[in-house]
Amino acid sequence: MNWLCLFAILLITAETALVSRFPALLRNFRYQSFCLALLVFLAAYREGGVSLYIIAFLLFSLKVLLIPYLFDVLIKRIGSSDHLGLFLNAQVSLFLVFVLGLVAWFFSGLVVAPPAYLEQLTLGVACFVMLTGVFLMVSRIKALAQVIGLLMTENGVFLAATIIPGGMPFFVEITLFFDILISVMIFGLFIYRINAIFTHIDVSKLSGLRG
Amino acid sequence: MVKRLGILNAVAHFILWLLALYFFVKVGAGNLKLSFCGFFYADALSAFLIFTTATISFAAALFSISFITTDLVLRKISERKALFYYLLFNLFAAAMFFVPLINNLGCLWVAIELTTLISSFLVGFYNTRHSVEAAWKYLIICSVGITLALFGVILFTFALSSATGIKSLNWTELLAAAKMLDPTIIRVAFIFILVGFGTKAGLAPMHTWLPDAHSQAVSPVSAMLSGVLLKCSLYAILRYGVVVADCCGASFYTNLMLVFGLLSLTIACVFIITQRDLKRLLAYSSIEHLGLIAVGVGLNSPLALFGALLHLFNHAVSKALMFFCAGRVAQAYGTHDLGKISGVSRALPVTGLVMLAGVFALIGFPPCSIFISEFYLVSSAFLCGNYWVGALLLGLLAVIGGALLYHFGKVLFGKPTIVGNPPQQEFSPAESGGNWLAYGFLLFFILGLGIFIPAILQQSLNAAVSILRGE
Repeated sequence: MNWLCLFAILLITAETALVSRFPALLRNFRYQSFCLALLVFLAAYREGGVSLYIIAFLLFSLKVLLIPYLFDVLIKRIGSSDHLGLFLNAQVSLFLVFVLGLVAWFFSGLVVAPPAYLEQLTLGVACFVMLTGVFLMVSRIKALAQVIGLLMTENGVFLAATIIPGGMPFFVEITLFFDILISVMIFGLFIYRINAIFTHIDVSKLSGLRG
Repeated sequence: MVKRLGILNAVAHFILWLLALYFFVKVGAGNLKLSFCGFFYADALSAFLIFTTATISFAAALFSISFITTDLVLRKISERKALFYYLLFNLFAAAMFFVPLINNLGCLWVAIELTTLISSFLVGFYNTRHSVEAAWKYLIICSVGITLALFGVILFTFALSSATGIKSLNWTELLAAAKMLDPTIIRVAFIFILVGFGTKAGLAPMHTWLPDAHSQAVSPVSAMLSGVLLKCSLYAILRYGVVVADCCGASFYTNLMLVFGLLSLTIACVFIITQRDLKRLLAYSSIEHLGLIAVGVGLNSPLALFGALLHLFNHAVSKALMFFCAGRVAQAYGTHDLGKISGVSRALPVTGLVMLAGVFALIGFPPCSIFISEFYLVSSAFLCGNYWVGALLLGLLAVIGGALLYHFGKVLFGKPTIVGNPPQQEFSPAESGGNWLAYGFLLFFILGLGIFIPAILQQSLNAAVSILRGE
């Protein structure tokens, strides 16, 4: 089942390179977060820890339900177009994401020794998700896409944390969730402000400060 | 109402400063290691950073009294917004006070992230096109950086957990088990930590948010960003560095610090020469000084580390003073554009005089304190046998010093040009009591530490150096 979840995350992440509209990107983020929550749930079932169940529940409620809902509300309020605005077209994006996948696989081999295949694969997929998140941030024009890219990068980091036996200390995870929620609200507030002042959320046009 | 709140805020920060001084003397000079529930931890290094934070936040609180009142008079902000400023100011200061006291590296990460989230409102405080743009870039770039740092934290935890079975993120436990950790994982993890926290610390080439944020933030906050916030992230790097040095030998960590430090100095040098904005000029100067501190850490001798820590404090007080002056000048002239500002020494005599002293302090003229710390850093490079590093430092410092003198010479002297909005009649050139106190307080450290380093500070810094060297 773990392998299946990892494979699903890999596919969903790669597919985001082809996405050019915001609802599709948000849907991919939702699916990716769901697979991540399922992975943590499976780990909780395997290890029997209550804290891991709580983490899986928080992941699900925050990243699958609440954050996508908040973004839906935000996009309706600002009335921005659905287009993400691509610096690079879908084909080039897909090729670059494939290269990032190879880099991630090479990197995971560096950190985790060969007998631990599941850990190596998990770390490889986690790095791939992180790199793709960063790639989305630099290759998409809209501010909303940058925030989703950042949240995907965070998903990658959370996925990497699943290789630690028993996961991260519980209160650290709780603090991290709190931090994510606060940061999403602040990002939303700034997107709202950008839209009010500039009448768009196109970050490529935020170039008043140079030198 | 706003002025009264400002005074109350300054009094509270003065009490905090006295407490920080007491803590610094007890823990720093006494070389104590305090732990509370395993979650909080303090030693000489933490006490030193807390004292630096308290010093700058007290000075900023003093300067805020008249700065915010003037912004109100100039109708740049509303009364409600002024009250909001004090709320954010204290939340920001609280997050920075929290950073050096945390033992748990996961929570340290959260505290550093919180400083970003809170200060983003202070960067975008004026709600103009430029300030919102700066705040957005600050949020996005620092969040990416800090997310990479979180990945580094996870790799450190993974290394600890695989080697010892300990499921902990406490620095003390990580350090105790450092020799058992897998050096390959630790090396990779540290690269993420350095890039991640280095972004927030303003190390080049991850510094791109810094000039925007520092130039657009409210001036007392610019002083706190430059004086303390950058150092909080550097503090995190130093804590991890001690573990890395113990696990894989010091050279990996120190060489990286040396490379990033010299790169920061070089990039700052280029942008300082070509700069056209007063506050951006100071921001690039912060990158230069952070680079110097990183070089000191990279040289890793006791003298270099002593110089680096002393420089951390000296830069904080000197740069805070300069940001206060820049804030006054920007209020009077209605711009930070270097091409539109001249004759400050005649238009604002006190600010002009203090600014002149601040420029000499930043450049490292004797008897200013930065001269002493830079002297320690450069001489330690030669004493360590790193002649090319020493020569490069001297060359870059000379060029940067010349460029700063050129820019500030044009700002300070010549015919006063008060242009733009707001008109001068609404701005009072007379300095308030709070400004006098803030200037005097910072100049006391700038000139005092240039002449004499008290035994308490020396003992405390030596204790902090021992911690950084893993002794």
